[in-house]
Amino acid sequence: MDEIVAEFVKRTILKIPMAEMTTILKAWDFLSENQLQTINFRKRKESLVHDLVMLCEEKHASVNDAALLDIIYTQFHQHQKIWDVFQMTKEPGEDIDLFDMKQFKSSFKKILQRALKNVSVTFRDTEENAVWIRIAWGTQYKKPNQYKPTYVVYYSQTPYVFISSSRLRSSIPLLGQALTVASKHHRIVKMDFRSRYLDSLKAIVFKQYNQTFETHNASTPLQERNLELDINMDSRIIHENIIEKDRVQRVTQEIFGDSPQPRLEFAQYKLETKFKSDLNRGILAERKEPLRCLVKFSSPNLLEALKSLAPAGIADAPLSPLLTCIPQKRMNYFKIKDK
Amino acid sequence: MDSYDIPESTSSRLKDHFIGATPLQKRLESVRKLTSFVPPSPQRKIPQCSQLQEDVDPQKVAFLLHKQWTLYSLTPLYKFSYTNLKEYSKFLSAFIVAEKQKGLAVEVGEDLNIKVIFSTLLGMKGTQRDPDAFLVQILSKSHLPSENREGKVLWTGWFCCIFGDSLLETVSEDFTCLPLFLANGAETNTALIGTWFQKTFDCHFSPLAINAFNLSWMAAMWTACKMDHYVATTEFLWSVPCGPQSLDISYAIHSEDAKALWDSVHKAPGEVTQEEVDLFMDCLCSHFHRHFKIHLSATRLVRVSTSVASAHTNGKIKILCHKYLIGVLAYLTELAIFQIE
Repeated sequence: MDEIVAEFVKRTILKIPMAEMTTILKAWDFLSENQLQTINFRKRKESLVHDLVMLCEEKHASVNDAALLDIIYTQFHQHQKIWDVFQMTKEPGEDIDLFDMKQFKSSFKKILQRALKNVSVTFRDTEENAVWIRIAWGTQYKKPNQYKPTYVVYYSQTPYVFISSSRLRSSIPLLGQALTVASKHHRIVKMDFRSRYLDSLKAIVFKQYNQTFETHNASTPLQERNLELDINMDSRIIHENIIEKDRVQRVTQEIFGDSPQPRLEFAQYKLETKFKSDLNRGILAERKEPLRCLVKFSSPNLLEALKSLAPAGIADAPLSPLLTCIPQKRMNYFKIKDK
Repeated sequence: MDSYDIPESTSSRLKDHFIGATPLQKRLESVRKLTSFVPPSPQRKIPQCSQLQEDVDPQKVAFLLHKQWTLYSLTPLYKFSYTNLKEYSKFLSAFIVAEKQKGLAVEVGEDLNIKVIFSTLLGMKGTQRDPDAFLVQILSKSHLPSENREGKVLWTGWFCCIFGDSLLETVSEDFTCLPLFLANGAETNTALIGTWFQKTFDCHFSPLAINAFNLSWMAAMWTACKMDHYVATTEFLWSVPCGPQSLDISYAIHSEDAKALWDSVHKAPGEVTQEEVDLFMDCLCSHFHRHFKIHLSATRLVRVSTSVASAHTNGKIKILCHKYLIGVLAYLTELAIFQIE
C-alpha cells in the first residue's frame, strides 16, 4: 500500500464514528471475520484506526477498496451532502432498450477516463436497481483528489439521477455527458430541486408518499374527523370558530395528506412582480417596474412547518399554491413573474 | 432642551405637566403606565451627516465598520476621568492577567502576554454636550517582529453617547454618561472588562435586546437614507414558531425597490413618522401575503439588514456605511437610554 493509499484509507476510517465502526466495517466486507476479531474495539480511536490500517495493509488494500468504504460511509451519512436532482430524457421515438447495468458501468467509466486520464470511478449496487457511483476527479497531469469526490445515485428504472452538490462545477457537464451516453439517454437537465434528504427527494420525485393534492375535490367522510377534532378542541372556542377551525383542518389535510411529510430544508422564490395592494392604493401606483424580491423558507422540516401554518392561524387556508406545489412540481427553486 | 428637576414627591403630578414634557418625562410616564413599547419619540429625524462628523477621520473609524458588535446599555460611570486613561490601561491590564492566571476564563492555549489600551474617539458624538467616546482594546504582545510593535487586536470595546441629552440632564457632574457600549471579540474578555468597569466605576452593563418594533423603525430609517450606491440588499428575517418545527422566512428586496417603496410612502420631509413606518412594513407584508397567503405580522421579526447597517434582535449589529454611522449610533443610544431608565 503506497503512502497515498495508506493516507486515504486512514482518513476514511477516521471519519467513521465509533458507534458505527463495526457496522460499517461489516458492510464493507473487506477485512475478514478473523481479522476483525483480532481488533480491540474498545481502544481509543487513534489507536484503533492505526490497527485497522495495519490490517488493510496486510490485505493490500487498493484505492478502489478505500473508495468503496467511502461510499458506504456516505450512504450512512447521506445528509452530510446536499443532493441535486437531475432528469434524463430520451429522444422521442427512440427505442427503449433493456437496461444492462454491466454495460452502463463500463461505458460510464470509459467516457470519463478517456476525457480525463486521471479519474477514480467506484460503483456500489444497492436495492431498487440503483447504483451509487463515486468519482474522484483529477486532470491530465494531476492524480485524482480523493478528498473532494462527487457522488451519483442512479435509479436505473427511472430517468432520475441524484448528484451530490460540489464546488467543482467544471466537472458537471462531463459527468452529465457520461451519464446520458452510458444510460442511452439524449439529454440531462438539472431540476430546481435540492435537499440534504435523499429519501425525501426520492419520495417526492417518485411520488411514493401519500399526497392527495390531485384529488382536491374528494369528499371524505367528515364524521370520523369531527370526533377526532373535538378531543383536541379548546372548550372555550365558540361554535363559529369551531366551524372555521374544522374547515382549516380539512383543507390542510386535503393538501398535505395524512402521512409524515418528506423532509426538505428550504424553498427559494425569486419574485419579479408588481406591487399591488387593495388597502394601500396609490402606493407605487405609477411604478411600471416590478419589485425584485428573493424569499427563502428554511426549516428542519419545511413541509411539516408549512402544514402547521394554517392551523396556527399564521396563514390562510388553503395555503398558497406557490408553497403547496413543491412536492407536486418536484421543485424548490422558483422564479415567479407577473403574467 | 429645558433643564428640570424631578423630586420624587411630585412624580404623580407629572401628568399635569405632560404638555411640553420632555422626552424623558414622557418616557417615565409611559413606564409607569407599563406600556413597554412606547417609542422614545413618535417621529424621528432621518439620519443626516451631522456637522460634528466632519471631525471624524474616515480612516480612523473604518475599523468600526463591517464588524459585528454586541450591544449593551451602560449606566453612568462614577468618577471616570479622561485624564486617567493611562492609569486605567495599566490597572485593567493587570486585572485581566490576574484573572486569567487564576484559571478563570482561560481558553486553551490562550496567550497571557497582553496589554490594554484606552483611547478617545474624537468626533464620535451628536452634540457638544455629549461626552467623548472612548475605545478599549486588548492587544496581544506576543507576535512581535520589530515592525509590528502594536500586536494583534484580540478584543475591542467602545463606549459612546450620541445625542444623549435626556440622560445627561438627569445626572450630576460626578457621572460620565456613555450609555451605549459595543463589544467585538471573545465573550470571556467582554465579561472581564465588564467586571472591572463595574467594580471601578460603580456602573452596570445590560445586554441590549432589540424588539421587532425597533427593528421596523431601523429598517424604515435606514431605507430612507440617501445612498450613492447600494452594497447590500435590504433583507428581513422572520421567525415562525409553529408546531414542532421552526420556520425561518428570509425576505430580501432589491435596495432600489425598497427605496422606491419608501419614497412612495414617505410624506413629511426630513422626518420619519410612526404611520410611515407602519405603512412601509404593511406594504412589504401585504406584497408577501399576496404571493404566499402568510401573515408575516403574526410572526416575529428578528433581523433587518440594509446597506446602511444590519441589526439582530439579540443585540448584534453591523454598520456598513460611514456616512450614517452617527445616525445609527444615535438611535442605538436612545434604545440604550430607554433600557437604563
